[in-house]
Amino acid sequence: MSNKELRERAKQLAREHGYLQYMIERYISLWGEEETLKFIEACEQPIRTSIRVNTLKISITTIPNRLRDKGVALERIPWLDEGFYADYGDSSPGALLEHMLGFYYIQGVPSMTAVHVLDPQPGETVLDLAAAPGGKTTHIAQIMKNTGMVVAVEQDRQRMTSLRSNIIRCGATNTLVLRGDARKLDHLPFKPDRILLDAPCSGEGLIPLDPSRKTSKTMADIRFCATREDEMLEAAVNALAEGGTMVYSTCSIAPEENEYIIDDILKRHPEMELVRIPTEFGSPGYSEPYGVQLNKSLTLARRFLPHLHGTEGFFICKMMKRRRTSDGD
Amino acid sequence: MGIELVDPVDWDSITEQIDIEFGEGTTKALLGDRVPVKIAKEKSIIFYAIPMDWMTRLTEVSEELDFQFIGKELGTLEKGRFRLGLQVLSELAKITHSFIIVSKKAAEAFTYGRSIIRESVLELNPSLVRGQRVLVLNKNRECLGMASLSVDAAKLLRLGGDRLVAKNLVDVGWFLRRLG
Ligand SMILES: C[S@@+](CC[C@H](N)C(=O)[O-])C[C@H]1O[C@@H](n2cnc3c(N)ncnc32)[C@H](O)[C@@H]1O
Repeated sequence: MSNKELRERAKQLAREHGYLQYMIERYISLWGEEETLKFIEACEQPIRTSIRVNTLKISITTIPNRLRDKGVALERIPWLDEGFYADYGDSSPGALLEHMLGFYYIQGVPSMTAVHVLDPQPGETVLDLAAAPGGKTTHIAQIMKNTGMVVAVEQDRQRMTSLRSNIIRCGATNTLVLRGDARKLDHLPFKPDRILLDAPCSGEGLIPLDPSRKTSKTMADIRFCATREDEMLEAAVNALAEGGTMVYSTCSIAPEENEYIIDDILKRHPEMELVRIPTEFGSPGYSEPYGVQLNKSLTLARRFLPHLHGTEGFFICKMMKRRRTSDGD
Repeated sequence: MGIELVDPVDWDSITEQIDIEFGEGTTKALLGDRVPVKIAKEKSIIFYAIPMDWMTRLTEVSEELDFQFIGKELGTLEKGRFRLGLQVLSELAKITHSFIIVSKKAAEAFTYGRSIIRESVLELNPSLVRGQRVLVLNKNRECLGMASLSVDAAKLLRLGGDRLVAKNLVDVGWFLRRLG
C-alpha cells in the first residue's frame, strides 16, 4: 500500500468507526489492514472483569466459595495464582462487603501481570512510581507479605486520597507514600532493589473501556506523554541499585510510548538490559515498529492487545541494571 | 510533610484513651514491635506504627520528602481526642472485648453508614456503657467499623426493637463512598 493509499484507507476506516485518522494510519502501518479491523472490532467488546485476591486478608482458597454464595462466578487466570476473571451477574464488584473488607482488588489482568513480572521478594526495598490509586502498590505489598518497604511515589493530590484508602483497605503495612514528582528522585535515602514504573500515558490501550479515547488524544498528546515517560524512566534508572530489576509498563499500545522509550534508554544506559519474562502471556514487543529498526531485544517485552488477548491494551518490559565490574567499566 | 518521633508523654495519653475503651494492653498489642511516629496535618496529627529500622533510614531526609503515609496507620488526634484508624480495627477485633455483633442485614446497612438498633444486636458484652466506643462485627467476626453506644449494654433487653443502640462513627464503606 502506498502512503497515499494508506492515508485514504485510514481516513475511510476512521470515519466509519469513529476514530481519529492518525490512529488508524498507525495501526495499518503496524499491523496491516486485516489485523487493524480485528483490533477495531475487539475494541467494541466488553473486557471481562477481573479481581486480585488480597492474600494479606484472606486465603486464595476461601474467596471462591464466599463469592459464589453471592452469585459471583470466578475463573482462574492461568499465570496468576491470585488472579481471577469474575462474573458478578447483577451485583456491582465494588459494592460487596468482601470488597470493602479488602479481600479483593478489582484490577485488570495486565496490571496484575506487571507486578507478577516485577517479582518482588520479601524484605526488599521496592519503589513504585506513579502509584495512585495503588493497585500495584497493594499487590507488591501482598507478595512481600508486608515485609521490607514499598515506597510509593505519586504527584497528584486528589489521587493521593484513593492511594491511601486502598492501602488501608487492603491492610498493607509496609508502605511509605511520598507525594512528589517521580522525575526527581535524588533525595531518596536508599537504592531500591526493584522499581516499577507504571507510567502516566495516553491510555491508547483503554479504548475498549473508554470509547471516547478514539477521538480524545492527538499525536501531540502522545508526544507529550512520551517525553514525560522518557524523563521518568531516566530518573528511575539512575535511582535503581546495581543488579536491580526494573519493570516499565503503560496502558498504551503506542510504540512511541513503549518500545521507542526503552530503545532510547538502552542507547543512553549501556548498563541496562532487557531480560526474558519467564511467564507465558501476551505477545512479543516490537523491534521494528513502522519499519524503524530498534534494539532487537525489545521482542523480550510483552504486549497485551484486545484483539489477541481479550484484555485492554498494555505494555510490560523487564530490565536489569548490570553491576559495574571492579575495574570500573 | 515530615515524620517525627512521638513524645513519650503524648504517647502515654493516647495509650490511656485507647486502653480505657478497648482494654488494658490494647495499644501495646497494636504497636507490636513497631515504634509510633506522627505526621502533622493542618488541624490534626496522624499517628503511624513503623518498623524500628525505618526510623534510622528515614529521619535524616525527612525534611526533603513529602510524607503522606507510612507503615500502619494507628489513628488521628484532633482537638485532644484520639480516633483509631480503620487500618487497625481488624487487628483490634482479635484483642478487645468492646464489640457488638450484628445481624446480616444490619451489617450490610452499617457499611452504608446506618446506625444499629436493638433488634439487630446478636451479642453485646453487658459491662459496656453508654458513650463508649465499640467495634461492630458481623457473624464471622469481621470488623465493619466503629460505633458509640447510645445506651448501657446492661439495659439492652429492656429496649424496644427499633431503639438506637449504637451510632455509626466510621465504617468500611466510608472511604469507598467518599471516593464515589
Ligand atoms: C497509570 S496511573 C498509575 C496506576 C497505578 N500504578 C496503579 O496500578 O494503581 C499513572 C499515575 O501517575 C501519576 N503521575 C503523573 N505524573 C507524575 C509524576 N511526574 N510523578 C509522579 N506521579 C505522576 C498520575 O497522577 C497517575 O496517578
